[in-house]
Amino acid sequence: MATMEMEDIDNQIRDLRTRISHLQAHRANLTTALLSAPHLPTRLQQRPVSKPIHAKKALKAVQKQQARNVKNIYRACAGVTAYKVKDPDPNAVDGGNILGVRIEVEIDGHFVETYHVLLHRPNPKNKIGLKVHKHTIPTCIPLLQLAKTHLPQMTRDSSTMPEQNITKFAQKLRKELVSWHLRRTAIGQLRVEAGLPAPVSNKEEETKTAPAMGKVLNAFISDDEDESDEDEPRRRGRAGPNKIVDIEADESVREITVTWSNGRAGRMVVTKDGEVERGVVRTVDGTRVTEMERKAVGRIEGLVARLMGN
Amino acid sequence: MAPQAKLSVPTIGNLPHAHRLPVTHREVVRTFSKLSRQSLLSLAQQWLSRKTRDFCRPYLYADQDPDLGDDDAQFDPAHSYEELQEIYKELGLRKGGRKEVVDRMLEGDWRNGISMYQLATAEIQYLLDHPGALRWNAKRLAKIQHSKTRVKDMEVTNDSEHLPRFQAQTFMANLARELSPLMKGHYLIIRIKTMPLTLLRVYIHDSPYGTESSVATTDTHAPDGAKSVFFVWPDGSPFVYVSVATHMGQVVGEEARHLRDIVLHAIPKAFSRPSSRYELQNTNFTARTLQALLTFRGPGKSNAAAGGWSIFADNSFSQNALDFLTAPRPVETGNGASKEEPSSENKAGKGHPKRILVQGETPEVKRRKEIAEGRFGTSAKENDGQGIERFEVRIDDPFPAIFNNGVRQEDAALAQPSKRGRKGRPSLLDRSLEEIAESQRDDTWAPDVRVTFQGSHVFAGIRQLVEQGVIDGEKMPGWMTGEAAVTVGAVKHGRIRTKGSVPGV
Repeated sequence: MATMEMEDIDNQIRDLRTRISHLQAHRANLTTALLSAPHLPTRLQQRPVSKPIHAKKALKAVQKQQARNVKNIYRACAGVTAYKVKDPDPNAVDGGNILGVRIEVEIDGHFVETYHVLLHRPNPKNKIGLKVHKHTIPTCIPLLQLAKTHLPQMTRDSSTMPEQNITKFAQKLRKELVSWHLRRTAIGQLRVEAGLPAPVSNKEEETKTAPAMGKVLNAFISDDEDESDEDEPRRRGRAGPNKIVDIEADESVREITVTWSNGRAGRMVVTKDGEVERGVVRTVDGTRVTEMERKAVGRIEGLVARLMGN
Repeated sequence: MAPQAKLSVPTIGNLPHAHRLPVTHREVVRTFSKLSRQSLLSLAQQWLSRKTRDFCRPYLYADQDPDLGDDDAQFDPAHSYEELQEIYKELGLRKGGRKEVVDRMLEGDWRNGISMYQLATAEIQYLLDHPGALRWNAKRLAKIQHSKTRVKDMEVTNDSEHLPRFQAQTFMANLARELSPLMKGHYLIIRIKTMPLTLLRVYIHDSPYGTESSVATTDTHAPDGAKSVFFVWPDGSPFVYVSVATHMGQVVGEEARHLRDIVLHAIPKAFSRPSSRYELQNTNFTARTLQALLTFRGPGKSNAAAGGWSIFADNSFSQNALDFLTAPRPVETGNGASKEEPSSENKAGKGHPKRILVQGETPEVKRRKEIAEGRFGTSAKENDGQGIERFEVRIDDPFPAIFNNGVRQEDAALAQPSKRGRKGRPSLLDRSLEEIAESQRDDTWAPDVRVTFQGSHVFAGIRQLVEQGVIDGEKMPGWMTGEAAVTVGAVKHGRIRTKGSVPGV
């Protein structure tokens, strides 16, 4: 009896909690909408109030909201925005002044990732010479190469200032980042088309159940290698079309590996803008399947359709 | 893929996976005695799976010699692989000690010997169970600059490639070609599922012979050294992690170290192709856990945004461009009273970490916490698994004429200055001839001052000292927050010198 009541009360509390958080989210949305109303600051200033301190507070909130709105609009529309940062290090060069470049990557109507490059001016002789200080660009993006080309540094003995082009640098960097994300999305899409499960992300459950060790890469063994694990049905020798059992890509998605159920394996090279340049497909005994190789060339998005459409 | 490699094995003479070591072999005993029951059982299942059966042949009923009475054997041989798999599954379901499983494996099912493959997977399993078992040195595979190709290397075109390409098969063939005249080895390359990396284990066999009997003999006069080296390639990055020459905690003799160096030198050669040669560069980073290595020298966003800059790498600073809410999040703040505070804190974190808004009478402790937040960002938290055990710097500033604030502050920072034995091996911190010449030219005297921080998580410790007011968080130099992302470095003018280094490594 008592436990029943306890449970009931617990449920009620839980319901109330979720209700509270819903209402709070709703209130936050309403606040945002209200604070973003046009001409609000002027109206606040014109209307006489009993306590001026409240009007001041309200004005502050409105200004903050509108600053955010402007910022977000720029970020969303421009894709690349700059901002100023102060380096907290007391020994930082140039008094800790830092120029930040923020790059947004949007795919399918979502802002999927944000990257930052922080630049400083280390050279007292070259007051406008920028140098990459910190950044959050993944290693598969050629940041160093871009920086060397577009943000050349003054060498010790040269007296002339090298020409720098920060706009070009940001443009090219953004292009690299966006095309990388697009390629990654395309691979995910290919896996869906081939009817494969989504690639395993760092899920906790996965690590617990499956052994941590993956595929052995230099195990060249038995003839029944392609029979794979016991849980996978035996497909060899079975009549019917070959199925694609795996599509993998390397981290920078410049190379795609496709495995078929009969042990046939293909490797395709992809350019940065998502064109499958060339590919090699081999059967399990090593002979090349030139017909498939020809089919593979083309846009990355249609790869599975081209390979499956025999 | 498979057939060609099968043919190439005899010519390049690697130790094959199926070579067996006797169960009394030192390496076997050492490895098996460390593994937990759970790991042993999961290994047994892997070995018995159809894919790897050929390398891990157990002792079955059919192998029994009818002439010899097997009455004294403790374990009856199983009749089939399936039966063995069942036995190990049952063992996994009930509770028991690990000794029981080890005995069953070494004296029962694999009494004929443990194959090289089994030993390798067992050691890798131990490594994954205990991520801090080895110390790792992060190296970078860099292209050797050549005046003719330099311009081309810097080009970024639609199909340019700036990372070394890792193909397991080609790499293995090249590596074996480099090494087989010097020594014999057993190699195992494996993908790790739980972390984005590829692992290579090399078992060094210091003998010209690659036969099973030569592998099995234990050299009695040889030092009891480590026989295996691990190399790790994180996905999509130019780095290689090399296990430092200790065998799961044991020091390695000089001889074994030479062999290890031979393997190390062969790695960049195996990566190289005509007209693109690679070399291994030191990145001044050593850590125990692979997690820390992946954070500081990994494929992701956090490499060049350590310390306080970590707010840029995780999304604590950059909110989504479509997130218009300035009011506090409903989940974070429970009551309406604290409405103003969190938003002002957020604001302080944005790009102005130093300027913390202190409203009215904020207690000193809170202020220090906020300073630490500004200097360390979201990094250097205890138990984040990214601990660095040892951080060494050499102070290169010339000896000051007058004592100023800077010196006093550094004294306070020396939590545990350790005395270095100056007679030991040359340290990475020893000044190069070039640097000595430079300091002489400047006509100043710079004493050889070195500071070493040691602990389970050095930067988390410094952060705690800042929070407790032992270190002045505002005057603390940036390298003490770990933002330089090195474990060895030289400091001049309060900054880690970055001569000739790549931005953000």
